[in-house]
Amino acid sequence: MSGSLIKIDEEIVTSAVASVTLTGIDSTYDVYQVVASNIVPASDSQAIRIRVGTGGTPDSDSEYDMAYKVFESNTSFANHSEVNQTSWRGVTYGTGTGEAGNLIIYCFNFSNASEYSFITQEEVTYTNSPHLASFTGGGVHTVAEANDSISFHMASGNIASGRFVLYGLKK
Amino acid sequence: MATLEELTVTAQAEIDAIKTANGGDGMFAQVNNVRREFTEAEYDQAVIDKANSDFDQQENGYKTARQEAYGSIQDQLDMQYWDGVNSTTTWADHIAQVKADNPKPE
Repeated sequence: MSGSLIKIDEEIVTSAVASVTLTGIDSTYDVYQVVASNIVPASDSQAIRIRVGTGGTPDSDSEYDMAYKVFESNTSFANHSEVNQTSWRGVTYGTGTGEAGNLIIYCFNFSNASEYSFITQEEVTYTNSPHLASFTGGGVHTVAEANDSISFHMASGNIASGRFVLYGLKK
Repeated sequence: MATLEELTVTAQAEIDAIKTANGGDGMFAQVNNVRREFTEAEYDQAVIDKANSDFDQQENGYKTARQEAYGSIQDQLDMQYWDGVNSTTTWADHIAQVKADNPKPE
């Protein structure tokens, strides 16, 4: 059925790793979706970082732009924009009980070598403060290239645990 | 205030110490359900990432800290209302305290 989710890759982190890469993005589907749940960093107060990949290797160039809004339950909402970063970012995750992070990313144009790769990103977490933090925004990698993977790491330290799943949206 | 170059040197030393070849716990990547130690290129990138992250925290960490420490807009408006009624300085004191507690790097 059109619009169905087809699982492409799944990585379940049970032993700490510095990065997780989801592979298998190609022209089979126009849009891919990443669902990552219960992400816990090894070090407290770390934001997740996201990169596109080529040949399974994350691109660490300074071509990541994004704009997003962070909604926090303990303060006013904040608008952010960043250009020419070395990765996209998310909200800060904590290590305490119940502080896991959860996110959904839609990936557009990843396999199109003539277009930039785009994402839309939604996140929710109970942060290290602790309080509820939610995130919504979008990003672009301003390089016209085909990307076959997407990877995740923390701003500093390891990912202690979490489940990362890549789906294709059936045409 | 450390420069990015100085933080890179520090990050290099810390990442080198983490490598299993140097007796550390190692940094690992999980790809295709295989957990493997970082390649040298990935370790090099980790040094750059850590230095950039530390530099950003040094330069901009106070902004996040202040944002989290400020009272909500509703609470601040309430402070300003009662300051007007009672001729107090609760709101200005609150802002000054947050700024003092989370100073901007010189």
